[in-house]
Amino acid sequence: MTSIRKTISTLGAALGVALAIGAAGAANADDKVATRTEGKTPTWPGISSSALEKFGGEAGVHNWVEALFYYIMLDNRINKIFIEHGNVARQIALNTELEQMVLGGPVKYEGASMSAAHGDLGITLTQFNAVVEAAYNACERVNTPYSVCNQLIAALAPFERVIVTR
Amino acid sequence: MTTKLGRLVALAALGMCGTAHAGWYNDGKVLATGGVITVDGAGGGGITPWATISGYETRDGINGGLHYTWVYLPNYSLNSYGATLGFFDRVELSYTNSTLPTGSTFDTVGLATRLLSSAVTDTGVKPFNTTIKMDVYGVKVRLFGEAIYDSDNLIPQVAIGGFYKNNHNDVLLDTLQAAKNKDWEAYVSVTKIFFPLNTLVNFTGRYTSANETGLTGFGGPDGNHKKFRPEASIAYLLAKNTAIGGEYQKHGKNLEGKSVVLDGVDLTQLTPLLGGTGDALKQHESDWYDLFFAYLPNKNLSFTLAYAMLGNITITPNQSGFYLSMHATF
Repeated sequence: MTSIRKTISTLGAALGVALAIGAAGAANADDKVATRTEGKTPTWPGISSSALEKFGGEAGVHNWVEALFYYIMLDNRINKIFIEHGNVARQIALNTELEQMVLGGPVKYEGASMSAAHGDLGITLTQFNAVVEAAYNACERVNTPYSVCNQLIAALAPFERVIVTR
Repeated sequence: MTTKLGRLVALAALGMCGTAHAGWYNDGKVLATGGVITVDGAGGGGITPWATISGYETRDGINGGLHYTWVYLPNYSLNSYGATLGFFDRVELSYTNSTLPTGSTFDTVGLATRLLSSAVTDTGVKPFNTTIKMDVYGVKVRLFGEAIYDSDNLIPQVAIGGFYKNNHNDVLLDTLQAAKNKDWEAYVSVTKIFFPLNTLVNFTGRYTSANETGLTGFGGPDGNHKKFRPEASIAYLLAKNTAIGGEYQKHGKNLEGKSVVLDGVDLTQLTPLLGGTGDALKQHESDWYDLFFAYLPNKNLSFTLAYAMLGNITITPNQSGFYLSMHATF
């Protein structure tokens, strides 16, 4: 019986530590990867050097972004956020640059950092994940293989730290 | 039975509070990122718990599910059902009831007992259809790290957890010479998804004295000594709803070479007298391996099919067979 009590108190202490770490893990401005506006995302392991080519280059990425916004705009969980905060055509153009950038493409991204663009929107992880689901649907829509799609998912994933603020 | 159903209903009701309370309910995780359900009822692979929290909730709410697992081995079958609840992608609670019909495995012992019934008291073994039942209560707490989003660092998601297992055939466990029929286990799991490789990797260290995960009790005639045992899972993501992979789980040697004890008489000493059949009554335990295929067509249902290679289980060798698990999430 004492061993059970000991286990419970150990787990209780661990829960306290976990919650403290969770609170300390909030997004911060020192996050060089998630706040940057240039360069390939430095993932572990690295994104395949042929990923952008397999995505179909700039035209292929543009098609993917068009498909992404098609799914986002049909998703009643998140479409209002995109409609309320900015022009969709402009978001498609900027995303086409951003996605090439994170895959290591020779492109100048003209938009704001992900932290600056989303900092005030109060985006939840649930909403962020809805966009991830749209991203996979978009890959299927433009017939980009899942394994290639995951190169882009890996390249965009760290932005979660600054896009999700709630 | 009623109390077990009661527990299940209580867990489910706890989850329903979340459903009724629109503010608590959440199913915002990306498909498949909650994993499937282990034989112990925790979220993870088939035998190894992962650092992921079961259910489709994000940090914004509560989610949970019901599971049923069937393992079909040459001398045994395992039926287990239960429920899990995930709170804010931080804490996981689980309950599983396992029923293990032992087939004809112990019939010899059971018949011997019956023949010697004037001399031998209850062994927990019936002449036929001996069954082992076990309740497993689990809790897991995610500590730190990000298995999915932090693709730019190698810090894994880390969770600690524990099980409390209560095996109800304590008389049979005495016969098999296990030290205890109910005990706790603790584990630490580290999990990371490497999206550029479409691969999930998990390592777990489990502090336990279990024999066959507790289905044949805890510890042996030399006492109940817990040790850290390594476990690992690797999953290759074939598609956003399909994964294949393999697992390994280290097992202990508490009952290695031991025979059965009938009314205080250890048959290990008697086995030479039984001639050729002597070795057949000695117990062995092997490490577990499995190869699995998990299909998660949507956020409400998943199926895992595996080939489990469990080696020696008590007095029966070569226990390889099929494993089917279904997980419904709400």
